[in-house]
Amino acid sequence: MTVEESDLVLVKRVQRGDKTAFDLLVRKYQHKVVKLVLRYVRNPAEAEDIAQEAFIKAYRALPQFRGDSAFYTWMYRIAINTAKNQLASRDRSPIAYDLDLNDPEESHSVQSKLQDPDTPEGMALTEEIRGIVNSAIEGLPEELKTAIVLRELDGLSYEEIAAAMECPVGTVRSRIFRAREAIDKRLREVFEGGLGRTEEMV
Amino acid sequence: MTEERDSQLSAMFDGELPAGECELLARRLAKDEAQRAQWSRYSVIGAALRAERGVALHDRVAWRVQNALAQEPVYGEGGSADSAAPARSPVASPAGRSAQSSERWMRFARPFAGASIAAGVAAVSILWLRNQEAPAPLMANSTAPVAASEITQGAGTLVAVDTSAARTPISNGEPDRYVTPQPSNQTSIAPPARLANYVVAHSEYSGPLSRRLALLGLVATDPTDAGGLPENADTDATIDMEANDAR
Repeated sequence: MTVEESDLVLVKRVQRGDKTAFDLLVRKYQHKVVKLVLRYVRNPAEAEDIAQEAFIKAYRALPQFRGDSAFYTWMYRIAINTAKNQLASRDRSPIAYDLDLNDPEESHSVQSKLQDPDTPEGMALTEEIRGIVNSAIEGLPEELKTAIVLRELDGLSYEEIAAAMECPVGTVRSRIFRAREAIDKRLREVFEGGLGRTEEMV
Repeated sequence: MTEERDSQLSAMFDGELPAGECELLARRLAKDEAQRAQWSRYSVIGAALRAERGVALHDRVAWRVQNALAQEPVYGEGGSADSAAPARSPVASPAGRSAQSSERWMRFARPFAGASIAAGVAAVSILWLRNQEAPAPLMANSTAPVAASEITQGAGTLVAVDTSAARTPISNGEPDRYVTPQPSNQTSIAPPARLANYVVAHSEYSGPLSRRLALLGLVATDPTDAGGLPENADTDATIDMEANDAR
C-alpha cells in the first residue's frame, strides 16, 4: 500500500461520514501545507490562516474528490490557489491602519504584528519541540536513526529503505516505529498529555 | 498488543499498512483520541526532522480547522460514532447519492412545474370564457340535450327549442332554426331597430337640414318611448323608399 492509497482510505471514510478521518489528514499534512503557503506569504500567521482556509475548502470539496490524483497533490493545489487568491485580494485592498505612526508605542505594536506574528510562547514551543526531537534522534541507535532519517528526510518507501539497509521490510517497519516511539516518549514527558491541543498552551 | 497497534499506526502514517488493516485502524482511530494525538506527534516529529523553517511545530491549524468544521455537515451516512448530524451533501452512499440527485432534479424541475401550473390555469380560463361567450343562436343547435323549455339569459328569453332537433346532429353546420329574443321591457340605450332603419332610409333622400332634424328627434326621443312610435312609421318609411325607387 502507498501513501496515496492510505490517504484514500481516510478520504473515503470522510465521504462516508467520518469527520475524524479528515482531522487525521489535516494533522498529517498541516505542517507541509503551511510550509508550502510560506512560499507565497512571508507571514507565518497569515500562512496558517491560509492553510486553515485551504483545509476547509478541501473538506467542502471532498465529495467531488474521486481519487484521480493523490490527496496531498489535490490538497496542495487548493492551498496554492487559496494563497494566490489571498495575495490578489490583498493587492486589491491594501490593509489600512488607522494609527498615528508618530506614536512610537503604537508604531512598534503594528510592526511587531506584521513582522513577528507568531507569539513568543508559540515560537518557544516550536524551538523546544525541535530541540527535543533532535536530541532524541541523536540518542537513537544507528539503525533506528538511519531508518527514520531515510523515511522522513529522504522520503523513501519501506521497500527502498529495506534495499538500502539490506534488511527485510518488516524490520524497517519495526525500526521506524521504534525510532518514533523513542522520540514520542521524550515529547510526552515534556508535554503532559502530548502536543494535543496546544492552542490552550499558547 | 498496544505495541503492535502503535506499529500499525506508524506504518499507516507512512502509507505502508495493508488496505484491510488500514480500514480497521481508521475505524479505531475515529473513537480513540489518544491515538489521534499520537498520530499528530508523528507528524510533528517529521516536521521537526525536516527543520521546516517558519512552521510552528504544534497542531494549531488542525485545531482551528476542527473547530471550523464543527458547524459543517457530515457527509454520507454514519461513518463514525460522532457523525450523528444529517448529511448535507452526501456522496459515497447510494442513499446519499439518490437524495442529492433528487434535490438536483427538484431544483431543475421547479420552474417548469410553475410554468405548467400557470399554463393549466390559463387553459381552464380560456375554456371557461369560450363557454361563456358561446353565441345564443347556436345554443339551439347544440348537440347536448336541452331539458328545460325556456332558458332565461340576460335581458332576453330564449325560447326553448325542439329537443329532438337539438339531439339530432346537423351535418352541414347550419342551424335549422334560430331563436329570436323576445322584446324586452328593460331600457336600452340603443334606439329601436325600426326607428334606426327609418332614419337611415330617410337620410338617404333627405337634405342635410331635415336629416339633422330627424337625428335630433331620434336622439331626443326617450328610449322608453321608442316602442310608442306610431305603428305606421316603418310603413311610411317603406312607402317613402318605394316612392323614391319609383322615381
